[in-house]
Amino acid sequence: MTEPEIKPEVMRISWGPQHPMSGQTRILIDVDGEVVRRIIADIGFTHRGIEKILENRTFIQGIVPIERMVMADTANIALGYVQAVEEALGIEVPERAKWIRSLICEMGRINSHLYAFGLQVECTGYFPAVFLWTTVDREVLLDLFEKLTGARWSYSFFIPGGVRADLPEGFRDEVRRAVEYLRRRFQDYWDAMVENPLFEMRNRGVGVLSREDAIRLGATGPVLRGSGVDMDVRKDEPYAAYGDLDFKVITEREGDCFARLKVRFHEIEQSLNIMEQIADEIPGGPVRTKVPLFPRSKPGVEALSRVETARGELGVHIFTDGGLKPYRVKINSPTLRNMYVFERLAELNRVLVADLPVILYSIDPWYLDCDR
Amino acid sequence: MQARSEEELVEELKREHPELLHDAIVHRSKRVSVIAKRERVLELARILRDQYGFTQPVSAGAVDYIKEGRMQMIYYLMNPETRFMLMLRVDLPRDDPRMPSMTEIWEAMNFHEREAWEMFGINFEGHPNLTHLLLPPDWRGGYPLRKDFRGEGITP
Repeated sequence: MTEPEIKPEVMRISWGPQHPMSGQTRILIDVDGEVVRRIIADIGFTHRGIEKILENRTFIQGIVPIERMVMADTANIALGYVQAVEEALGIEVPERAKWIRSLICEMGRINSHLYAFGLQVECTGYFPAVFLWTTVDREVLLDLFEKLTGARWSYSFFIPGGVRADLPEGFRDEVRRAVEYLRRRFQDYWDAMVENPLFEMRNRGVGVLSREDAIRLGATGPVLRGSGVDMDVRKDEPYAAYGDLDFKVITEREGDCFARLKVRFHEIEQSLNIMEQIADEIPGGPVRTKVPLFPRSKPGVEALSRVETARGELGVHIFTDGGLKPYRVKINSPTLRNMYVFERLAELNRVLVADLPVILYSIDPWYLDCDR
Repeated sequence: MQARSEEELVEELKREHPELLHDAIVHRSKRVSVIAKRERVLELARILRDQYGFTQPVSAGAVDYIKEGRMQMIYYLMNPETRFMLMLRVDLPRDDPRMPSMTEIWEAMNFHEREAWEMFGINFEGHPNLTHLLLPPDWRGGYPLRKDFRGEGITP
């Protein structure tokens, strides 16, 4: 990126990509005293060309590279790709596989939201213990992933036509126990953090994004819902088992960092309810249909699949040309959209330098997702 | 003038604005495509935003159809009321890929157009800041997502 000019009274600070709180990106901030006049996000430090890599992999091989986009939330990302492949190739999925997919996606969402919650608390500066709590508590979910898929991260469990394996013996009881444990822990978080006046002061009224601006600037996920727009792909275009599940779309009106945190927090509660419902009501039957290892596509087909990941809407648009590999895969990543919102926030609000980390982590950036 | 179903939206667009678009298609429920004429795409975009409620920009990207000698730029748009996904497509000849920038209509297309510029070499006229987004600022290796791109001999 070439840097734009600045006025003499303004100082430009380059924040990152080596700063511990910036993540793997560079953010240029123009400051006038303590007030941030402009934010410029210089992304691309983790660009790996996933879209180009996918053009050179067969449909099933593509699952592995695309999962690396968001490690904390691999299930949702992989589901976006797998659903697009299924639509492009015309593959049916058995009912039980859809429920298992929803279960894993919700576990991934909690895993990712826990990380986001821990980091947002961490960057207010007062409460380093909370990030350790959330890291410990996600072990419960990682153990479940390990039992089910054989891996704790990036499990490549979804394949076109279903999932790789059925639930192991006693898994539903373990899901219920995990839900019960996490509910108890979330009450602790709520009491310790969300109702903590010190924490609230650092978040309330900071980085406000109005409903109109959220839509106009293309925000997505908890950022959009924190501004009062009830858009959630799980409700708008039910995929997997979400059409049969009972859950609410969480919104908050204020549009500040605190609202975004509360949206994530209540979404975790909804996800726990969904996990419990799936453990109770999952239908029987096969978990995959037979799909050839190297399925051949029809020429000129395209399929756009949308899924709600923890960071917002992910779109995977696959174009085929009749070969064994996709002709082109376009990934509409949620963090890229939210990073643009972050850039504009300094113009919409009075932003202070000390609030920047809180604002940045309230949009829950994942740079590998942003840069692809 | 909010159209109710996908078919009604497509019919209405074809009836009201035949001079602005080549075609309009319903792919499946909540997926609509409009293939715009390159010269008049800004007019069509403004109508889609102001009269049809496609106020939320989602993303944008291109596809390189090398055998047909064209590229297609696709803008993904969302209507927050009906939750339709509309794909506004513009066909560009491969030897002269330029079109007006949509940042005037949807500000947030800024990042996506910069990406399409560096990855496909599409020139967006009127873009406020057409510089590298994901690639390094001194990148001279060509356009990576074009189909005739060969990665050999490029040093970062």
